Amino acid sequence: MEGVVAWLVITLIKILVILGIVLGIGAYLTLVERKVAAHIQRRPGPMVVGWHGLLQPLADGLKLLTKEDLFPRYGNRFLYNLALVMALVPATLVFAVVPFGPEFEVFGIKVKPILTDVNIGLLLVFALGSMAVFAIALAGWASNSKYALIGSMRKAGIVVSYEVVITFAVMGPIILAGTLSTYDIVQKQIEQKLWYLWLQPIAFVVYMFAMLAETGRVPFDIQEAEAELVTGFTVEYGGMKFGLFPLVEWYIEVLSLSAIAVVLFLGGWSPINIPFLGFVDPLFFLGPLSPFVWFILKVSLLFLFVLWLHWTLPRYRIDQVTETAWKVMLPLTLVNLVLTAVVAPLIWR
Amino acid sequence: MPWAKGEEFLELKQRFEGLEVEEKPTITTLHVPKGKLIELLKALKEEKGYKLFIDHSVVDFPDRKPRFQAFYILYKVEERKRVVVKTWTDGVLPSIEKLWFAGKWAERECYDMFGIQYEGHENLVRAFMWETYQHYPLRKDFPLEGYATEYLPSLNEVLWGENLQGLMNYDKMHTPVPTLEDLEITEKRRLQKKAQIVLNWGPLHPGTHGTMWFLFDLEGERVYQCDVILGQLHRGVEKLAENEMYNQFLVYTDRMDYLSALCSNQAWVVAIERLLGIEDLVPEKAKYIRTMMSELQRINSHLLWLGTYALDLGALTIFLYAFKEREKLMDIIEGITGARLTISYPRIGGVRMDLPEGAIEVIRAFIKRFPKELKEWETILSRNRIWLRRNIGVGIISKEDVYFYGLTGPVARGSGVPYDLRKVEPYDAYGWVEFDVPVGENGDVYDRYLVRLEEMRQSLRIVEQCLNALEKMPKNAPFFAESPDPKKLKLPLDGIGLKVQEGEIYSSGENPRGELGFYVYSTGGVKPYRVKIRPGSMYNLCIYPKLMKDRVIADAVTILASLDPVVGEIDR
Repeated sequence: MEGVVAWLVITLIKILVILGIVLGIGAYLTLVERKVAAHIQRRPGPMVVGWHGLLQPLADGLKLLTKEDLFPRYGNRFLYNLALVMALVPATLVFAVVPFGPEFEVFGIKVKPILTDVNIGLLLVFALGSMAVFAIALAGWASNSKYALIGSMRKAGIVVSYEVVITFAVMGPIILAGTLSTYDIVQKQIEQKLWYLWLQPIAFVVYMFAMLAETGRVPFDIQEAEAELVTGFTVEYGGMKFGLFPLVEWYIEVLSLSAIAVVLFLGGWSPINIPFLGFVDPLFFLGPLSPFVWFILKVSLLFLFVLWLHWTLPRYRIDQVTETAWKVMLPLTLVNLVLTAVVAPLIWR
Repeated sequence: MPWAKGEEFLELKQRFEGLEVEEKPTITTLHVPKGKLIELLKALKEEKGYKLFIDHSVVDFPDRKPRFQAFYILYKVEERKRVVVKTWTDGVLPSIEKLWFAGKWAERECYDMFGIQYEGHENLVRAFMWETYQHYPLRKDFPLEGYATEYLPSLNEVLWGENLQGLMNYDKMHTPVPTLEDLEITEKRRLQKKAQIVLNWGPLHPGTHGTMWFLFDLEGERVYQCDVILGQLHRGVEKLAENEMYNQFLVYTDRMDYLSALCSNQAWVVAIERLLGIEDLVPEKAKYIRTMMSELQRINSHLLWLGTYALDLGALTIFLYAFKEREKLMDIIEGITGARLTISYPRIGGVRMDLPEGAIEVIRAFIKRFPKELKEWETILSRNRIWLRRNIGVGIISKEDVYFYGLTGPVARGSGVPYDLRKVEPYDAYGWVEFDVPVGENGDVYDRYLVRLEEMRQSLRIVEQCLNALEKMPKNAPFFAESPDPKKLKLPLDGIGLKVQEGEIYSSGENPRGELGFYVYSTGGVKPYRVKIRPGSMYNLCIYPKLMKDRVIADAVTILASLDPVVGEIDR
């Protein structure tokens, strides 16, 4: 009985911590993005609200929340609102299987810093990822606008193409680790003294591009394409409802997929890896906190990489995006899969 | 003056009965009876090589019979010669849309403004005014104050009648939609074609760069056909021109192509100087200043184009880079002329004032720094794989299309037609400076992009040469022409009381967006009798529906931005 209560309490705390971190950071990433973009464009960015604009996200949130709630004529109100839920929930749920660090002990209780260490973790991630298409298709359809419809259809096309690609891309690390549990994949990398990035560079690159496509980042941001579609499927949303879509797409999804990338290819919370020899930890002085810092560091690096691309590159056309997926990336991942199958027994030993 | 010589048409004179050749220093005209018009134009196009369509309109003489004098301006690119064909009509003309597509748009405009009926025109609807409007504004008997009872129906009014309440009452709450009737007709026609979606692209849309209205018939993402509705920004500049003094009209040229005000100003003052015959009297210093300023304006205009073009293709950062440099240019222009957007700096006979102290140094600093910036942007864009994939092979314009659609400016040069008025008909100091005319090979969007980038470099070269020349001049050198003979021609700085003798001229300047031409018909006095403006943007835009056929929506912004139209100039 005691064990059940303890488990319940711990799970509840985990949920609160993860939700707080994800949504809070999600909001603050808007500031990070604006600052990064500003410095790429040789300007200071938000400077007025708070020190160097530190309170800007709060001001933005307040502005969005107090705005009038508009609803398009002849739209479908139920689906219109359902789309918001469908967008937010699956994207946040992905964090349930993200391991933030190694197991540790508090008051004699062993705690894994992961919400549920299910043995089909990765399957869950990509199943939830596919759910995103519902949100966007619903949003486009319920808005009763041609721009929104075209935008959502574009996005649906991308998600369908890139779900296939991303699934094949992650096959490599799964084969090497021999498990679908995210926690165990990291453990395996530490045991084998090998980040899977070294053996799976193709898969990693393909994964990163598929991630950009799924989250609607440049160069694949054709579903919003300000110039031609205004903002695509969010064009009829207003206030916080409008703010929610970019929050989910650009920040929460990018974060969750970056975290999964770190888990799959960059050895999760492990420090810098020298293939087959071991790990070097320049952050050893942080003691038990070091794994968590490493994890956060890697995720932020990937996030900054995404921002860097976003504010530098032009965007592809819809036919070129899907063409890249089917004609270039999918064959690459298939080749990679075969190669991995050959190499894998050496790694297993 | 690149006008054709009369003897060239002797042979045609035998074939066409009633053909008269009139040769003046400012214009060469072929007068032909209406019945022979199409044949003559065809002969000129196919046999004589006058392939490039420049402009067509009519001049209204209400007291004469027949009433309208129609003119067609044609150009021969290889030999740099221009000719005007004129005919008299009472309101009916044969359509030239089979010879030049650009003529189709010119005819629509003529029908709109003068009520000329064109036989054989495929879709003779009004270009700028709405379809139920009964009057023809550019006719001389149209009252200046307009018709107060004429009433523009709004979209909601037509759809909902009197049932509108509160905010929905568009009539009270909003500006009416000017070309509603156009839209309704086209939509009715559309429904028969069974396209899936008709997408309203504009009038207010970030991709259209102004208040232009496009209708795309979509099949999925593919554009099945495209239609352009103009007239959102129509202000009747040509009517204004007839009722303003020559110098007063200068400020309206600012407001046509508002991104290249100085170039438009220059084109206008040069046209009037040529008409007056005082082009040689304008002091050298004024000519160099005008040339330099328009080249700075050209860079300014191309920078805005580059920024928005990159923005349209999703490269958000270039936009801010370009605007940063543009801001410096604006400051320079503001320091010299006192204005940033609508400048009105040149005057008939010179410029308004001398360069201020330190202007030359500031410009020198700018042209020293600018090539580095340009190179940086090119590093980001020109060899970028995504950029190449979005640009190469999109919106290909062949050489024949250039002539057929009457394209000019960077659009024509991108297709390999070396048509640059600064070279073929040098005005101001362009004859004295060295520069190259970049031309493209394939005529796609990418070539036009490269041409415009190279043009910025060439502009820098011109500016530098102008600076060198200006530095050598004494500080007190005149910047405004002396009146040649005070009794005959009064040439004041403010231009009030400037009398122009009888005559006509077609003169044009090379704007960043193509040839901006002025056909000025003067019957003597302080005001012109008729001014026809040849807007480069309008004829450049007329190829857009053709280029958009079977492309996807994403290409719509690419192609439109590469044509770079400015609505103020299209609608006038």
